[in-house]
Amino acid sequence: MNRTWRVIALVAVLGLVGAACGGDEDTGADTTTSAAPSGDLSGGTLKLAQTADVDVAFDPTRSYYSVTWQYYRCCLLRTMMSFNGKPTEEGGAEARPDLAAAEPEVSADGLTWTFSIKPGINYAPPFDDVAITANDFITALKRTANPKTNVGGYSFYYSVIEGFDDYGDGKADEISGLTAVDDQTLEVTLTAPAGDLPYRFTMPATAPIPPLDGGEFGVATGHDKDYGRFLVASGPYMFKGSEALDFSVPAKDQEPVAGYVPGRSIELVRNPSWSADTDELRLAYPDEITTEIGGDNDDLYNKVEQGAIDLVVDGVVPPEKLRAYQTDPDLQNRLKVYPADGVYYVSFNLAMPPFDDVHVRKAFNWIFDKEGFRQLRGGETTGELAGHNIINAVTGNINAEYDPYATPNGAGDVEKAKEEMAQSKYDNDGDGVCDDPACEGILTMTDREDPYPKQAALMQQFLEPIGISLDVKELERTVMYNKCNDMNEQVAFCAGPGWFKDYADGYTFGNPLFTSDGLWESCCNYSGLGASADQLSEWGYDATEVPSVDDKADECTAATGDERVQCWAELDQQLMEEVVPWVPYLFFNQVDLLSPNLTNYSFDQSAGIAAFDQLALVGEGNLTSG
Amino acid sequence: MGRYLIRRTLFLVLVLFIVSLLTFLIFVKLPAGDPARRAVGRSTTPEQIEAARQAFGLDKPIYVQYARFAKGLIPWPGLFLTEDVYYSYGNFVAVKEEIYRRLPVTITLAVGAAVIWLAMGVPIGIISAVRKGSVWDRAGMVFALIGVSMPVFWLGQLLLYFFWFKLGWAPSSGLEIGDTIWQSIAKGKFILPWITLAFTSAAFYARMVRGNLIETMNEDYIRTARAKGLAEKRVIYKHGLRGALTPVVTMLGLDIGLLLGGAFITETLFGLPGIGQLAVTSIGTNDFPMVMGVTVLGAFFIAVANLVVDVVYAFLDPRVRYT
Repeated sequence: MNRTWRVIALVAVLGLVGAACGGDEDTGADTTTSAAPSGDLSGGTLKLAQTADVDVAFDPTRSYYSVTWQYYRCCLLRTMMSFNGKPTEEGGAEARPDLAAAEPEVSADGLTWTFSIKPGINYAPPFDDVAITANDFITALKRTANPKTNVGGYSFYYSVIEGFDDYGDGKADEISGLTAVDDQTLEVTLTAPAGDLPYRFTMPATAPIPPLDGGEFGVATGHDKDYGRFLVASGPYMFKGSEALDFSVPAKDQEPVAGYVPGRSIELVRNPSWSADTDELRLAYPDEITTEIGGDNDDLYNKVEQGAIDLVVDGVVPPEKLRAYQTDPDLQNRLKVYPADGVYYVSFNLAMPPFDDVHVRKAFNWIFDKEGFRQLRGGETTGELAGHNIINAVTGNINAEYDPYATPNGAGDVEKAKEEMAQSKYDNDGDGVCDDPACEGILTMTDREDPYPKQAALMQQFLEPIGISLDVKELERTVMYNKCNDMNEQVAFCAGPGWFKDYADGYTFGNPLFTSDGLWESCCNYSGLGASADQLSEWGYDATEVPSVDDKADECTAATGDERVQCWAELDQQLMEEVVPWVPYLFFNQVDLLSPNLTNYSFDQSAGIAAFDQLALVGEGNLTSG
Repeated sequence: MGRYLIRRTLFLVLVLFIVSLLTFLIFVKLPAGDPARRAVGRSTTPEQIEAARQAFGLDKPIYVQYARFAKGLIPWPGLFLTEDVYYSYGNFVAVKEEIYRRLPVTITLAVGAAVIWLAMGVPIGIISAVRKGSVWDRAGMVFALIGVSMPVFWLGQLLLYFFWFKLGWAPSSGLEIGDTIWQSIAKGKFILPWITLAFTSAAFYARMVRGNLIETMNEDYIRTARAKGLAEKRVIYKHGLRGALTPVVTMLGLDIGLLLGGAFITETLFGLPGIGQLAVTSIGTNDFPMVMGVTVLGAFFIAVANLVVDVVYAFLDPRVRYT
């Protein structure tokens, strides 16, 4: 999943923050929730910076990157359901009605969902006289189903809609499971229960697209690759110059918006069609939001300190800055650290020796120096040591204290690892050291960027006492993921991945990572869990079976409410104790540094970064920094 | 002269052909993994990967694949950087559009820096040569030693830190959103990048001018000029300098050609949206249509600069004749 690895790219290099974050549990950062200051916070220009551009030039069907999603959520696109731009403890992980007038109604069998849509909400110019209707959601989902327009996206989340795949395959003219009962009512019929459907309707690919005569995909027709530069907004902001969009001429002759220059800048201005009266989720304080793209990471943080820009969206706080902001009481409230709802891990291929033996996999978990890995990433501030696979935010903190392989200081336990290895078929003399050739030179893929090569070197050291050696291949990130994704590649050990939630539900971890649904060339079940004998044979493995948790995951997918949360937590425990496909080592954090101009910071748990619409500028409404 | 130009132009085409072929092999064929998969990203179906493979012509024999890319490098309407091949899958824009948008920034940076390094380097070199062994000479050569010893990435950060961050004398990095190049120049946005880029070259040029001038001043024709009773200034500036500056023109042409292909570090460091920054980003994302376009453009500038320099040489040095 693109968004996952790109988010990880943001946080990955937090290794640089190292020296600043010694052994003290207190990170010195302000993680308190932000009470809104009194007074009118509106006005001013919020100045953001990014080291790199958003993904796919803002195409909402294809975008799979948390930064781009934040622009959509806060500013550009309203969806049927959405989030309030707050951290988990303030309900930021809950899907709430946005364009929907209320929570959807669901039939007793869980297969039919009915959304009622708020009336009288219009698009941004030049469609400011066009109201959003049920058909516009269908248009968006048609574009999501279309293989020419959904490249790199996440159409798999909507395959559960009846007729979705048939439409995408060209076997049907319409998606049979989507019905616009009237302008204000959308009925969705599923082929199997999906308790998280409201979450799936928070995602930008489902945001309504205005109609255009003769256009299958509305105004996006003809913009298979570049709709993002012609985006018609529905949120409180729009791209500067949106009113000049002219959809009356053929797509190839249309001029893109002036407010987004790929690789260079983003300029958002207020959408005159938007009204706070119809939107309970967005505060939309700044009058304008500008983003400069590119530049040196450290220099950008100097600009933040000087107030020349207000926030670096995708940067890595330099160590000296982090240290200063952690220790100076006057600056601490300008350093924000929040869990980003992602996990770093190493993954075993269960169809390959020696990882076809659960005792070897458990031995890895026991000996793993998680604290060493964290230190290589920068220490305490980078995140919390992971004792299990699935982030706590989606399992209701049920497993918050759960760690079946806990070791002193997270540094690994050689003796316990040897006890486990001694039970494996690869330790013939039972001395706790693997003596089988399968343990020598295990093919290992990792990311070539810092800190992964250093982590691999550390791993070589701490695995030696149990007789394991690795043949490490350092690859460009996308190539590494492609190889780990593809079971044909027969990668025994994948040492560089990470995973970030798409939305706050266990499905976004459990299903793609651990079930047979994730066993396709571009997805994410690196362990091969749930693979059939035929698949294993086709991929060239000698193994004829691997463990499966498909049944349990199906049970969780169909469940709702507390039962659903409990189910994913149970699956996590089953994975840790019985299946053991990974060693999870870090639940990572997002670290933000604020300029003195900013107030009312809010961490948007849904995207895992700051909520742009909630940020307000000091001086607007006579506020002070805080 | 005509035959010479034709021969050199054909040679230029050959150079570009070799560069494009090597770029194609290095960035499209050699990297690990399927280029079609790299192009479409991770979360894609086999059908989409196959569609990308066909779109890029990667399902064809390798010479056909290369031909598709090579055809787009022919500077002819309808062929040059056509969008069917030269379309960035990183930024989702036409390669041509992106290059045209960024070229003014790179040209401004290169030309401005060249003016500064000439204005600094040539006088220092002349003074050092004319007053060889004096305090001025030593000071000039200390400057040169310091200049050539300072890496651009370090000097740029140093200048930014002191002159913008600490002292506030210079503007910050980056260009303000919506500003034209002229507005950016007027706001002083290029001053630190120009100095950064010019400093090392100024030092190098100073050493080169000094060495050349000292050598030239020992030539027989200089002795003859002096014997004729010409004033020393006239001997130096009319006769000595002309010979000493000929290699400088050669270097200048090549350096500007090189910089027009992108001053990678300076642009990245100062957040200047030029060709160099584009190249770095594109290589980082394996955006091979963009990499092909940018690399061949850089090679084109260098090759053309080389040609121009060789032609200009004849006007500067009467001993040079083209055959």
